[in-house]
This record gives sequence, structure tokens and C-alpha cells, in this order.
Amino acid sequence: MSASVKLKKDLLKKIAKVAAAGGYSSPEEFIEHVLEREIAKLEDAQSDEEIVKKLKGLGYID
Amino acid sequence: MIGPHFAYIGPGAGFAFFGSFLTLVAGLFMSLFSILAWPFRMARRALLNRKSFRKARVKKIIFLGLDGLDPRITERMLAEGKLPNLARLAEEGSYQRLRTTFPALSPVAWSTFATGVSPARHNIFDFLDRSLKSYQPRLSSARVGKPERVLRLGRLRIPLSRPALELRRKSQPFWAILGKLGISSTILRVPITFPPEKFEGKMLSAMATPDLKGTQGSFSQFTTRVEKASYENGSRYPLRRTADGFEGEIEGPEDTFVDGGRVLKIPFRLLRRGDVFELRIGDSACTLERGEYTAWQQLNFRTAIGVKVSGISRFLLTETDPECSVYMSPINIDPEHPALPISHPSYYAMYLAKLLGSFATVGMAEDTWALNEGVIDEDAFLGQAYSIFEEREAMFLDALESTRRGVVACVFDTSDRVQHMFFRHMASSDRHAAVIEKMYERMDALVAKARSYVDSGTALFVLSDHGFCSFRRGVNINSWLLENGYLYLRNGAKESGSFFEGVDWSRTRAYALGLSGFYLNIKDREARGVVQSGAEAQELRDEIAGKLAALRDEDGAAPIRQVYQTAALYRGPYLEAAPDFIVGYNEGYRCSWEGAVGKITTQVVTDNPKAWSGDHCVDPVLVPGVLFSNRKIDVNDPGIEDLAPTALNLFGVQPPAWMEGKALL
Repeated sequence: MSASVKLKKDLLKKIAKVAAAGGYSSPEEFIEHVLEREIAKLEDAQSDEEIVKKLKGLGYID
Repeated sequence: MIGPHFAYIGPGAGFAFFGSFLTLVAGLFMSLFSILAWPFRMARRALLNRKSFRKARVKKIIFLGLDGLDPRITERMLAEGKLPNLARLAEEGSYQRLRTTFPALSPVAWSTFATGVSPARHNIFDFLDRSLKSYQPRLSSARVGKPERVLRLGRLRIPLSRPALELRRKSQPFWAILGKLGISSTILRVPITFPPEKFEGKMLSAMATPDLKGTQGSFSQFTTRVEKASYENGSRYPLRRTADGFEGEIEGPEDTFVDGGRVLKIPFRLLRRGDVFELRIGDSACTLERGEYTAWQQLNFRTAIGVKVSGISRFLLTETDPECSVYMSPINIDPEHPALPISHPSYYAMYLAKLLGSFATVGMAEDTWALNEGVIDEDAFLGQAYSIFEEREAMFLDALESTRRGVVACVFDTSDRVQHMFFRHMASSDRHAAVIEKMYERMDALVAKARSYVDSGTALFVLSDHGFCSFRRGVNINSWLLENGYLYLRNGAKESGSFFEGVDWSRTRAYALGLSGFYLNIKDREARGVVQSGAEAQELRDEIAGKLAALRDEDGAAPIRQVYQTAALYRGPYLEAAPDFIVGYNEGYRCSWEGAVGKITTQVVTDNPKAWSGDHCVDPVLVPGVLFSNRKIDVNDPGIEDLAPTALNLFGVQPPAWMEGKALL
């Protein structure tokens, strides 16, 4: 699911330029990455038990 | 239009439940709209098609992916005349070794195949990544979260939205780019496609798709043997004797409709019928014969509020007298009633199941752990692997049959799983010595079937993502880091439990997680980082890389061919998520089972005793893949990143600037 956010045109132009130079496939991908990085700093980690359970059965690891 | 009840039961996730009335009304409305709009859609598509294919040099591209097909074995068998169809393809077109990614792992390499970029641009560096807060491992490619809106009624919890699903692979696959231009693709079981993305075409998700319990596939064993056995990746349950046979209970997912979510269970009975048993689950019954898998059995788990969640499993009677044991495969998401989206459009999985019968949906469908842990034997494993192969082949041929223009890409995992589990037999004289060769011959026969759909307007590529070699000894990088003063355990301990139990992060400068590499514990990056980024980190990187490369095994052999610093391998926006080092193991070695999950052992290099005896988690230079095509490819050193721009180029589409691969044709 996606939603729209309004940005100033000048800012969007700069974003498009930086995104292309950085190897992103679109300005949206760049914006998502930057925001995710910032949000991750504020989020709590999942419980260990949940993580371990989800990995169960992956052939390559015990 | 069918409106499935997307529901999910797994650790920490909840259901997304839509009222059936609303679904019915929406379904009727959509059906009516769909019928009325049909002539306009057809006219638009015809116009778009004409425009889309104007510059195309082909009508159709077929990518047949044979995961892990090794060039050395392939070339030897080609020379011996054992792979006639691949030989013909090479003769008419071309054959070359295909450079793989760093590291040579399927999620990484197939993501590069799809996007035409290096891992630093698609964000998949391993099966696992780590939480920078807790240092705990996570699946690198997908996140399954809880529904955001939940209605609480006493102890009941009614989800009002779908669970949050996220594909962590970044950049754009070539089929999405082609789709925007009106060129449609059918993408079948290409790894790292869960959850499925919307695009112009059809897709069936693969690697990372969970089972109904939310794991990557955990089997069950029902047995009269009373002694306890704890399986690392499965569960053992009692089989109780009754007057006419046995009875037991199937444990499914947790009921997330209630606080504290009890495990949902379904009782079953085994009734003796002469030499065979009748397996009764609810109203359904089937015959259970020793050594023969049942067909997929539907398992309907009823939740606290009456909603049913459907999964599928296959059963195998492994012993009958004096003890009785039954193996049950992981409970796969039912493709006819998917509890999570596993295809695009959502009804594509249902269509395939209705047309061809039910099929395995979990990411790594072949149950390698059941063989590792001796719950099934080699023949049972092969029976399962080839049954999944046949399901996949039927889907692939259906897609080829119905595609006149566009792309069909399908990846077969049989080649990878069989080599993992039978590599040690290849050098033996036991009855499984020829299993791998026979598998190669079977893949060759599949190539013949694909070739029957090739005409002058079709480009066919048969490729693998990496090769294979033996896995005799495991290297625990965490143990080596402890021995060399880069990692510390609390209270001076010399060994630890999994997932860095007991690690003293305040003194730890480096740690290893996953199959390919290891990380520095960087200040302001990791939650309890101690190494200053910049010059201090670089000095430490150089020091560790030099020391680790000098590691020797008991017999003087070098387990490590080269230690790569990731920053020197590729450039891209996701580089910061990559391990600081990728370890290029020599043939015969891999990271140890314990080391991959952050468990510290007293020995650095140990034997690998498991049936899983072949691997590719070595220096990528040692395990390139293969690339066959019916077209002449005259390029030195083709890489797996070159296939995506090749597909675009063949359809007359200029590859975008962010793609790092170069078109081969």
C-alpha cells in the first residue's frame, strides 16, 4: 500500500538528482530509504523469541 | 473476482480479516465492472502491445533458472555426452560460465539477476541481516508485521487491516520496468519475491515465503517412540495407540484472535487397514502406505471466532512395526486459500492450484532438515524433491503454453537442494553415488521441454546463480574472534549459546552473523558499538583481514582463500547494511553451523557431520554459475547482473542508468 506526500518542486528536483547519483532506482526509493533509516533509530527491536522462531527451518542454519 | 480472506497466523502477526458481506458486495461490483470494461481493456492492450513491441528484437524471452547448477560438473557431463540438450543449446548458441555475486548465495544472486544491480543497490547481502539494536538475526528479504488496526472485544482481537508485509529487496526488477511499457511477464518462484509486488504480469512468490506457523518450514513427526528427541527445526509429537490403530494431534499456528493465542490443533486418527493405514483428519480420509507420500492434505484450523485458516501438508509413514512413526511436511500456506499473499495477482496461486492441483508454497520447500535429522531417509527426501520439481515443471510449461509475447522466468530449486544433501555421496560407491548426475540429466530433459516452445522470435537462457563444492569442515568466525581478542564473553567464558548469548558488547570489536561475512561493532551504528568509524575502523579491518587469512586447519590447510572488505567490492546506497567483511572460504570449508547463528564454540574449525554436505558459501570466484543461450553471446566474463539489462535491450528498452550490468545481446 502506498500514500502520497507533497514536496516542494525544488526539493524534489534535488532529490531526483541525488537519488540518481547515489544509485537509487527512483526518487521514491531514496526518500523511503532516508526516512526508514531515521525511523529505525527510534523503533524498538522485536523480541528475540519471535525472531528465532521465524528463522526456524531455513536450511542453511541450525 | 475472488476476494480472499488474507489471514495470517505466525509469531507476532495477526489476521487481516475482511467481513464476508463486504467482500461479497465488492466482488459482485468488481465482476460487473470487469465485464463492462473488458472490450476497452482489450483495445487498450492491443494498442499498447503494438507500441511496446515496435523496437523489440524478440517476441519472447525464457529464463530457465537451475539453482546451483555447477559449471565443473556440467562441463564434465557435457564432455561425456550425458547432457545432450544443453550440448545442443551450446552448439546452436553459446555456453559460458556466469560470474556470481559476492557472496555466492541464492537470495543475493537472484536479486541481482532481477534488478541488474549489485547487493549494495538491492540491499540483500545474505539470508540474514541483523538488528543494529539487539544484534539479533532477521530474515534479510522480508518482514511480516502485525496488523495496524485491531478491534479489541474482551479477550478477542479482531484485526481490521492486513498484516504489514514488506519486501526488503530494493531497486526495480526488470519485469516491473517492462510491465510499465506494456510488456508482460510470468515470474515463477524466482527467489526473493515474497511478498509479491504488483506489476504488469503474474508472479508466484518463492524464497522467504513462510509456512503457516510463520517459520521457514518446520516439519512434525508423530511417533509411538516415547523417548524424547528435540529436533533443531522440527517437532516430535506422541502417537497414541488405540483399539484400531493410532491417534494424535496436529499442531498448527497460534490463534491470534485471542490474547495469549493458544496453539490451534486438529486431531487425527490412523486406522489399520491390512498392510496400510487410513489417515483420517476431520471429514477427509486417505491411504497411508509405508514409503509413499500422501497427496497434499488440506488442514483447516478453526480459530476462536470461527474463522478457518487453511494449510496443506503431506504425510509419510516411515515405520510401522513394532513402533509407528509418521512424518508430516511443514504446513504450507494453502494456494487455494492463501492466508498471506503468495502471488500476484492474488488469484494466480488459486488459478494454478485449480488447474494443476495443490503445490508447495513455502520458500525452501524441500525439507532438508528432516533428512539432516534422520526423520526421513535419502529416498524419501528425493521423492519429495522430485515431486516439488514436477509441480514446478507443470507451472512452467503452463506459462510457456500461454505466453506468446513477453517474459517467462522460472527457477527450479531441485538442483540446489539435491547437491546440498548428496554431495558427499558423489565420491562414494554407495547406492546414492549417482544421485547428483541423475539430477543433472533430469534438468537436461527439462531443457528439452523448454526448447519445444522456442521459435525464431524467442531468446532462451538457461542459467544458474552459483556452482557447488563440498562442505567438509566448518569455520566458526566468532570463536576465532574470541581467541584473538576481538570478541569477549562475560565472566571469561569460552563458549556460549546461540544468538550471542553472554557476549560482552562493551569490549567486543567484531562479531559474525549469517553465512557470508562478519561485522565490526561500530559506535553510533550498532547500539553498543565500541569501534570509532573512520580511521580506527579501517585500521581494525586491515588488521583482522590479514590475521584471519592466515588461519590454518589442523592439517595445515588454509580454510580461507581471501577475506574481502565489502566497501572495496561494490558501491551503492545500502552498503552500510552490508557485512564489513565477506569471507572467501576455500573449497571444502564454510562458516560453521554454530558460527552462523552467533554461537561460540571452543574449537574454531570443526567437522560437518550433517547430510547437508555440499555448499556454495565459499569464495565466489570458486563457484560461478552457468549460462546457456540459443543466442550467440560473445562477451568476456558475463555476470549475473547482465541478464536484466539484456532482457530490456532485447525488447528495445534502454537499460536505466542505475543498472550496473551490461546487456549481453
